[in-house]
Amino acid sequence: MISLLESQNADGGWPYQQGGPSWTEPTAYALLALMTQEPASPPVGRGLAWLRALQRPDGGWPPQRAIRQSAWMTAVAALLGPVALGAARYRAAIAWIVRQSGADTNLPSRLRQLLLGAAEDDPGWPWFPDTSAWVTPTALSMLALRQAETRTDSQKIKSRLEAGTSYLLRHACREGGWNHGAARTFDIDAPAYPETTGVALLALSGRQSPEIAAACRWAREALPVCQSSEAESWLRLGLSAHGQLAEGVPAPPRPPRNVQNAALAMLASAALAGRSALLPEQKHA
Amino acid sequence: MPEELATTQRAIRRRDFLAAAAGASLAACARSHARRETKVSILRQTGYTQTLYGELRRALAEHRLQVRGKRVLLKPNLVEFDPLTPINTHPLVVAAALDAFREMGAQVAIAEGPGHRRNTLDMAEAAGYFATIPQFEKLFTDLNLAEVAEVRLERPHSRLKSVYLARPALACDLLVSMPKMKTHHWAGATLSMKNLFGTVSGGVYGWPKNILHWAGISECVADLYHTLPRHFAIVDGIVGMEGNGPIQGTPRAANVVVAGRDLAAVDAVCCQIMSIDPRKIDYLRLAIGDVPALVESVRQIGEALAAVRAKFRLLPAWQGIRLA
Repeated sequence: MISLLESQNADGGWPYQQGGPSWTEPTAYALLALMTQEPASPPVGRGLAWLRALQRPDGGWPPQRAIRQSAWMTAVAALLGPVALGAARYRAAIAWIVRQSGADTNLPSRLRQLLLGAAEDDPGWPWFPDTSAWVTPTALSMLALRQAETRTDSQKIKSRLEAGTSYLLRHACREGGWNHGAARTFDIDAPAYPETTGVALLALSGRQSPEIAAACRWAREALPVCQSSEAESWLRLGLSAHGQLAEGVPAPPRPPRNVQNAALAMLASAALAGRSALLPEQKHA
Repeated sequence: MPEELATTQRAIRRRDFLAAAAGASLAACARSHARRETKVSILRQTGYTQTLYGELRRALAEHRLQVRGKRVLLKPNLVEFDPLTPINTHPLVVAAALDAFREMGAQVAIAEGPGHRRNTLDMAEAAGYFATIPQFEKLFTDLNLAEVAEVRLERPHSRLKSVYLARPALACDLLVSMPKMKTHHWAGATLSMKNLFGTVSGGVYGWPKNILHWAGISECVADLYHTLPRHFAIVDGIVGMEGNGPIQGTPRAANVVVAGRDLAAVDAVCCQIMSIDPRKIDYLRLAIGDVPALVESVRQIGEALAAVRAKFRLLPAWQGIRLA
C-alpha cells in the first residue's frame, strides 16, 4: 500500500510515482484525501503551500512547475475550496474553469467554429486548452463548479453546468456508461470504461435520466470484474453518489500502483463513510 | 523507475536536447537527399511460442547494433486491458527483445504511455506482461507520468512548435519502437512511427493526447520521427489487427515479426505486407518525401515479402490505400 505521507516530496508536492517530481494533479488528490482525515496537519500545510505557489496568473494550474500552460488539473485543485486555497485564488481558478471549453476536430465542427466562432451548443471541457472536450475533464470541471455553485449565485456557472450535463449525456455509450468520449467511430459503437463511467456518474449525482440509469447498471456489472484500483475507486464514488453501491461489493480493493490511485482509494473510502471531498452536499468542514 | 534511467534523467541538460534536435534536423536533411541501403528483417513466426527468443536474437544480430553498455528502451504498444484481442504488443515479443538486447550487453528498460487508459501498470498486468516478463514492474516506466522535457520541433510538419516528451524516451541511447501491426481509422496504418505517440506526455496533454489530433496526426508522426532519431523497430505482426483498428478491429494473422534500424523503412515494408501502398500513407510521405526511393533502399533479410503478404481488411474510407 502506497503511503501518501511517505510519498510527499521535500518541496511539499506529491509525485505520480514515488520518488518522481511533484505534479499538480496527484498533489491535489493527495491533499483532498488527507484533508478528509486531518485537514490541519503539517503535510497538508506544506502541500497547500506548494500548490498555491504554482497557480498561474490566469487562475489555472499547470501540470507541473516547468510547464507554462494551465490545464485540466485546475479543476482538481479547485475542489480543495476557498478555505484551503484562499478566496482570491479560488475565485480565479473557478473563473479559469468557466472560460474553458472544448471543440470537435471534425470538419463540420471546425467550419462552424471558423464561421460562427462557436464549436458546440453544449461544450464540455478539454484536457488541454484549445482541443476537444472529453469525458474526464468535463466531469472534473463540473464537480468543481458544483461546489462553487453552492458558494455563489452565478448564472455563468449554472449555464456551464447545464452544458456539461448535456455534453455527458450526449457522449454516453450505447451499452451504458462512458469511455474517454468517443462513443461511436465510423458508425461502430465503442465500449465504456469503468474509470470514466465512475467519474461521470459522480459529476451527474442528483440527476436522473435514461443514460444515467443505464450507466449505473453498467457500472454495477463492471465493479466486481474491475482490473484497476483507479477504476474501482471511481466506480465506488460514482455508484455511491447515486445510492447504487450494493453492500459488500466488491471484495478487497486492488492495490493502488501510484500516488494518485492511493489518494483516490482513500477518497472513495471516505465517501462511503459519509465524508465526500468531491460532492458539495457532503463536503467536509 | 529503473535506476539507470533515473540517473540519466538527472544528468540530462538543455544543451543535450538542442544537440539531439540539431542531430535530428541533420538526419532529416540527409534522408531527403540520398538514401543509403537500409536493412529490414522479416521473420516468419507462427504463433507466440518460445522459438521467438532464438529467432529474434538471430535477426537482431544481423543488424550489428552496438549496444553494449548502452541504455535501450523498449516501447511496446499498450492500448487496452483485454488480453484476448490483438490490440496490444504481445508480451512474449517484448520478453524476447529484452532477452536479445540483454545478451548484446545493453541495459534494457521498458516504457509506454498509452493514449486512452490511464492505469498503465494495471493494463500491463491484464495484458500478460507481469506473467511473462520477470520483474516487469521494476523494469517499467509509465511515460505518461514520467518527468518531461519541452522539445522544440525543428521545421515541424505539424502546427506544434514544441512538444513535451517523456524524458526516458529522450535520454535513452536507443528507443526500440515495438508496435502491433494494425490498421488505423485515422492514419491508415499504425506501426513503429505512429507508436512514438506514446512518448508524448499524457500527464501534460491528457488521455487522449488530443493536441496531436488538432495539430495533425500524420504531421505529428513525422515530427516525432525526426525528433527521436536514435531508434530501432520491432513490429509484432504475428497476429495483427485489420478493419476498424487500432482498437475495434479484428484479429489478422500475418505470422511475421519485422525489424530494422529505420522506422520509416520498417513501416513501409509492413504496409506492403498488409497490402497497403506505403506511398499513400501520409506520415511516410511527410517524414521521408520520396517514399518510392525509401522502398528502393530497403535490403530485405529473411522471408521474401511476397511470401508473407496478407490482405488486411480496410474500412471503406481507406480502400484507396490498397496496394495495387
